Amino acid sequence: MATLGFRTANKRYKRLFWPMMAIYVAMIFAAKWLVDEDTTPLWIRAVCAVATTAPVIGSIWAILRQTSETDEYTRARQMRALAEAGAIVACATFLVGFLQIFGVLGAVDVFWFGPAYFLAFGLSRCRTSLGPTV
Amino acid sequence: MKNILKILRTERGWSQAELADRLDVSRQSVNAIETGKYDPSLPLAFAIARLFGRGIEDIFDDGQGVTQATD
Repeated sequence: MATLGFRTANKRYKRLFWPMMAIYVAMIFAAKWLVDEDTTPLWIRAVCAVATTAPVIGSIWAILRQTSETDEYTRARQMRALAEAGAIVACATFLVGFLQIFGVLGAVDVFWFGPAYFLAFGLSRCRTSLGPTV
Repeated sequence: MKNILKILRTERGWSQAELADRLDVSRQSVNAIETGKYDPSLPLAFAIARLFGRGIEDIFDDGQGVTQATD
């Protein structure tokens, strides 16, 4: 993917990211309205899960595309934030996993590791904006 | 790497955001280069030199020039 510069990369990012987020929110409400765990057929529940995940994949694609298309300094900071978020979530996964294995912690929904990644990514971006950079 | 980007920018009365706009980079990029926290790549250094009508070595100084010249 070619570098397009900060402005164009940002425009393309916003053009994809925000519609994806809007679809994601709409899908959550639609799925909540459609799905009843006791009565809704399994295939409809599966379709709802995939349809709700699709815009998340789209928004992740938007982040990765922006990372490769933006200016070099922003790309370096973004890469660092993505890597830090991955490292934090990997550590958290091991910790929660071992806490479960050793019977300290009960069941934790795997779902929460996704939002945890985005939270860690956001915090890392804030940190690189405030403190020492790349 | 030391540079005189801030001097050149203020000589023209540009803000960091204006310079960033002209180079099509983020304002944070300009700030990081000016404060020496980030060394630009060769293409960006060329773009900066072209914008100010100077040579790269007139703007950036890696502190090695004298050593290399005497080697």
